[in-house]
Amino acid sequence: MSAPAPAAAVELRREQGYWRGTFVAMANPCEVLCDTDDAVLARRIADIAAGEALRVEARFSRYRDDNVVHAINNSNGRTLSLDAETAHLIDFGATLWRLSEGAFDLTSGVLRRAWRFDPNGQLPSPETIGALMRHVGWQHVQWRNPRLTLPQGMEIDLGGIGKEYAVDRVVTLLQEFSSAPILVNFGGDLRATMPPRASPAWHVGIESIAAAGTAERVIELRHGALATSGDTRKYIEANGRRYGHIIDARTGWPAPRAPRSVTVAADTCTQAGTLATLAMLQGEQAAAFLEREAVRYWCLR
Amino acid sequence: MQLKRKRSIGESLATATCSLLGALPAARVQADESGPWQAESALLYYAEDGDRVRDISFDGALSYAFDEDRTLRLNLTLDSLTGASPSGAVPANTVQTFTRPSGQGSYQVPAGELPLDDTFLDTRVALAATWSQPFGESSRLSLGVSGSTEYDYLHLGVNGRWERDFNQRNTTVFVGLAYAQDQIDPVGGVPISFAAMQEAGDSSSKDGSNETKDVIDGLIGFTQILSRRSLLSVNYSYGRASGYLTDPYRILTVVDPLSGQPVADPAGSGLNLHLYESRPDSRTKQSLFAEWRYAFDRDSLALNYRLMHDDWGITSSTAEARYRLNWSASDYLEPHVRYYTQSAADFYRTYLVDGEPLPANASSDSRLADMDAVTVGLKYGRRTRHGEFSLRLEYYRQTGNPDPAPIGVLTGFDLVPPMTAVIAQVGYTFNF
Repeated sequence: MSAPAPAAAVELRREQGYWRGTFVAMANPCEVLCDTDDAVLARRIADIAAGEALRVEARFSRYRDDNVVHAINNSNGRTLSLDAETAHLIDFGATLWRLSEGAFDLTSGVLRRAWRFDPNGQLPSPETIGALMRHVGWQHVQWRNPRLTLPQGMEIDLGGIGKEYAVDRVVTLLQEFSSAPILVNFGGDLRATMPPRASPAWHVGIESIAAAGTAERVIELRHGALATSGDTRKYIEANGRRYGHIIDARTGWPAPRAPRSVTVAADTCTQAGTLATLAMLQGEQAAAFLEREAVRYWCLR
Repeated sequence: MQLKRKRSIGESLATATCSLLGALPAARVQADESGPWQAESALLYYAEDGDRVRDISFDGALSYAFDEDRTLRLNLTLDSLTGASPSGAVPANTVQTFTRPSGQGSYQVPAGELPLDDTFLDTRVALAATWSQPFGESSRLSLGVSGSTEYDYLHLGVNGRWERDFNQRNTTVFVGLAYAQDQIDPVGGVPISFAAMQEAGDSSSKDGSNETKDVIDGLIGFTQILSRRSLLSVNYSYGRASGYLTDPYRILTVVDPLSGQPVADPAGSGLNLHLYESRPDSRTKQSLFAEWRYAFDRDSLALNYRLMHDDWGITSSTAEARYRLNWSASDYLEPHVRYYTQSAADFYRTYLVDGEPLPANASSDSRLADMDAVTVGLKYGRRTRHGEFSLRLEYYRQTGNPDPAPIGVLTGFDLVPPMTAVIAQVGYTFNF
């Protein structure tokens, strides 16, 4: 892994006994809480976190024209040989496609052209979705690590796993660097290394990670991760139905009767985020799916 | 994914995550929701200087969260009041005899002392329940009932509050409404307005056994997040009480216009002439409240101001500042200071003057006088394994001005003496 890029605009403040570093990455407010009295250490930790978050963003954002995702999406059917980190992400995406029987698909990002999620948004026409669906489907992709051949007109989007991956990357780096208790929170997807010194657990308000406008409930996280899928503000309301922004790649439509959001606790942020997204894709059966997986979850309908 | 597949994907996912992160399996997650119950308890001790009011009060609340959105909260308050409170009469340079409110027995007040009624003793039990739930997409509704009882008072009330978030939850607008019906059963009966206090055993100054009052309160306001560090909350409230608003135990002394000495009851009761007070049968209050909160890097500050005006002629201002000093992850200190000032009610009279026509209403209650009060306090809080412990200490001092100004011998007395009180409270809040 390359050295962390110099972090831009990391604000570091002492708050309620913790050091709290904040910055913006991947279009989300990000924070690193660090239980240490050492200001210099806290500054280093915040800089490492921001540096890694911005590195992941720069490498895998689909909004840039200077990275590997851009190269893949503009390969026009040519075969590319990928670096190890990208290959690991593609492998992971391919595994999710298989585990979800096609509902989760790295190539489904093109559907975003048809879906504009806000409460006053319009439903796309079946024709629009049908046309875009011709460019969706991992079965059309040839992938034999490290060689990828993406048919012309198709795109990949790592946004569905990028934020959680970044949280886990940052935690891995910081655990090598310091033994201080640390909580990494990127836009509500978070992971803690160990409980803070003065308390048996980190107290995470479920409101901030699961739902807008609900009573505050508190999750006590000793270590491990919490991630949320679904967004109580990103949806379309039409014909008396609510269409959430997690789209089933097999149909091009949001899973019917999905919860508004699902929060899952798991060992890593990547696992938590994946389970939350796969649960959303189960629609009405989201809770049943999570029960079967025997994980702690909070489902908001 | 189809429903027919019932096999867990957890293991495959864990393996895939390990190879993605190039790391050993992470430690098992340990996340638990704090239990659905929350209990709050506080024990308060309030003591006025001298032999005046002492209150020991217990306040307990139990909340149960049925799910993320629905909460039921039950509240219990037990109050135990003892001590003496001013009867409303003025001091004299002779011993004065007063009949107890019950009409059974009497007590004497030495010359030069402010008459206090030492039969003051009360136990109050109050219960309240509030239900909160979402109401549409970004609104919440709370509905509550309350009731309290003490030996001479019964209160029953209902209340509701609706709030809605706008502007990505940066703005919250709220509306509240409350209605209460109270019944007053004064010990010894309801005194007739301006009737003279009679000797023990003579109930001719009393008329009926109970009275009622209705109170309706409305509230409208908003909270606006101004920046990542500050927020502003503003509300306007309107309240109207109607019915029996008089203090049935409070009396006014009638004094001689020249000497300032209490005059003897012309009816020959053998007592000085003390008349039961009389207040208007309605009161309309309006108040405007604003609070600004600011979060510093470590600490936070809250400043608030309330302007209140009612149709009894009272205008009051309250200004308060609280500073929360978070000196570690688990401990904080919160000093606070409050200043209160009010103008007197139109009908406030420290005493009445013999020979002058009776006003339509009169009360000698020092809480209706022109007065100022200062509170300074300090709270210490500590988060523990399961909850939060707090200790609060406060000092309160109130000073008032008599009206009309003292005449004759009254100039030698402090008719509205300063009152000081100390307040100590311990609290513990925990989840389970």
